[in-house]
Amino acid sequence: MLQPKTMTRLLIVGSKEQMPSAVTELYRHHVFHITDYTDQGKEGYEGFRIGQPMEGATELSTDLIRIRSIENTFGLSPDDYFDANKRSAYSIKEIIERDLPAIDREVSNLTAQRSAAEARIKVIEQRIAELTPFSGIPLELGLYKGYETVSVVAGKAPRDIEITVPHEKFFTSAKDDGTMVIFFKNDDRAVVEQALAEAEFQPIPIPDEEGSVRKAIDTYQSEISQLNASIADIDEKIAAIKEKHGTFLAACDEVLSADVEQAEAPLRFATSDLVFIADGWVPVSEVENLKSGLAQATGDKILVMEVGETDDHHDDHENQPPVEYDNPGFAKPMQAIVDIYSRPKYDELDPTLMVAIIFPLFFGIILGDIGYGSVLLILALVLQRILKGEAVQQLLKVLRNASISAIIFGVFYAEIFGAHPGALDIELWHPLISRHLLIGSHAYHQGDIAVLLVFAVWLGIIQMTLGRFMGVYNHARHKNMLHVMGQMSWIAFMWGVLLLIWSIAAIPLMPDLTMLPPIVMGLNIAGIIGAVLALAGVIGIGIESPLELIELPSVISHSLSYTRLAAVGLSSVAIAMVVNFIAIEMLIQPQFEELTAVGIVLIIIGIFVLLIGHLLNTALGLLGGGLQSLRLQYVEFFTKFYKGGGEKYNPFGKKRNLTED
Amino acid sequence: MVDLGVAELTIEMVAESQMGLKALGAGLAVGLTGIGAGVAEMGIGSAAVGATAENKDIFGLALLLTVIPETIVIFGLVVSLLILF
Repeated sequence: MLQPKTMTRLLIVGSKEQMPSAVTELYRHHVFHITDYTDQGKEGYEGFRIGQPMEGATELSTDLIRIRSIENTFGLSPDDYFDANKRSAYSIKEIIERDLPAIDREVSNLTAQRSAAEARIKVIEQRIAELTPFSGIPLELGLYKGYETVSVVAGKAPRDIEITVPHEKFFTSAKDDGTMVIFFKNDDRAVVEQALAEAEFQPIPIPDEEGSVRKAIDTYQSEISQLNASIADIDEKIAAIKEKHGTFLAACDEVLSADVEQAEAPLRFATSDLVFIADGWVPVSEVENLKSGLAQATGDKILVMEVGETDDHHDDHENQPPVEYDNPGFAKPMQAIVDIYSRPKYDELDPTLMVAIIFPLFFGIILGDIGYGSVLLILALVLQRILKGEAVQQLLKVLRNASISAIIFGVFYAEIFGAHPGALDIELWHPLISRHLLIGSHAYHQGDIAVLLVFAVWLGIIQMTLGRFMGVYNHARHKNMLHVMGQMSWIAFMWGVLLLIWSIAAIPLMPDLTMLPPIVMGLNIAGIIGAVLALAGVIGIGIESPLELIELPSVISHSLSYTRLAAVGLSSVAIAMVVNFIAIEMLIQPQFEELTAVGIVLIIIGIFVLLIGHLLNTALGLLGGGLQSLRLQYVEFFTKFYKGGGEKYNPFGKKRNLTED
Repeated sequence: MVDLGVAELTIEMVAESQMGLKALGAGLAVGLTGIGAGVAEMGIGSAAVGATAENKDIFGLALLLTVIPETIVIFGLVVSLLILF
């Protein structure tokens, strides 16, 4: 909670003979985050070098590439098969030896046929494009060539062109460009060419074919449809192979990826002629487990050292431990949201838990509607069943939590699709805080707008103070007292300004300190304390960094920024109420007094407006509620204490879905 | 005889026209701040999308920078709510 998992740095040293079994063991445990070794590479350097891949790595990679290329042809990804039955890795390896070449041959045969057909189609389409201009000219293709004293020119011309020498001319006008063919004596070439050049004539090649143009085009077109049919046939065959061997290929991919990764692991180790050293990080809870596993696998012929924490690792970015979240189950989905911003550093507070509580809360405050909340909850639950994939599932869980919170706040606000239940003359309960606006004749409650806005600002003040305190903690841990003082000064400044405001003006939901007797300059005791606090804050901030002083107004702008919680929600309420008003009161209700044919049509239109309006408003509510409350976390909350930029904990190994040993 | 030259101004009419002006003011507050936020986000947004295309890791930062001017229109919305209610 609030802290990433504690990591221990392990150095694993062994002789090279033990390397394969050690690597296999590390892969199986799936907890060791390898720090890549970089050798100095200097001239004459004689220390450890980066290791060489193990034997057989090249063959394995070749096999893997072959499988990936087949998968590519099929358009399948191993992730599609995560719930298939597990197979034994050993049997898979046997099948790879036996079946893979045959499948590979079959598939590459089919793809070769398909690309040949596709290439042929391209050629034919080109021919057709060349022939088409001549289709309007009443000449067989054979007549265009084979003359000794006569030349032929064909081309595109915008209009009929006058030629002064004896000639034979064919012109078909088309919409943009007509086709023109001219036969003339060889001696007149110069004259003809000049005339054509002046008239925007673009020559085109004469196709080298015989017979009628129409007929030629028809033949080509039937060939194209034949080729298309055979491509469809090939695609069907490929789909059949995919159906038959898909799971097998996905399993092969998994086995081979694992093997290749293991075979190439030495590339990340430091090695000499006789020994290897693997440097990396393991969560503290896993250390003993891994140690005993390694000892067993290598028959105690390996040395595993725990490297104690050095004090200087704050400045040394190379040796920062990787970061793995450590959160209670309900906060886990929020890790994806924090990752979008940035993963926390190892030595800073992990805000995930805070965000996991505050984000749904804010979402609920903004959307706050039993109807919309239920729609989104059902949507989230249905999509959880349909969509696969870890990231999507996590996001859907976030949506689920958020919509539950929206339903709860819907009860507080007494809102169902923007309407108070009282709108149907059922007075079930009164809203705790009303967001109802005076739209339509059923409007019961005036909204408590000012209260809502102040409530939102209160949340902002609390969250920002919390953020500053987390900042204090982060800096205190680094013994960075200047910044600790800076953060404290910000808190002092903010609360000082608040006290000042309270002593001057009475605001609903906030303490009213205007009654206290004034002491100096019209300020009462609270005002003076506030002014002193604010002044001390300004001085503290100025000492930390004078540049920060221009940020002072951000105290006001950031707290007012939280009013979006009320404002965005109110705008969505207004849309919902207007939709209800137009659909029910203007279109549907008047018709019931006297049912006519037109009235029924109007009722149908009314229902349509109601559905579309609420659908749009649900989408808007999801977007507004989600983005706005996310933004409050990212901009107003995180900027107070959170830097991020930690390295993701990426343990060596992989969870196997399709195979087992 | 009705004297068309003199229009009568009742209290209700004054109240109504005040309401109308309030509504106008609220509309201007939301509309103009909306334009302002839009203009501000235009440049940031396009740069942010470009930067994200180059390097996906900065998506979070890009989103953050893009939504900063959003506050302007929220202020407009708050002001208009305060005017109207």
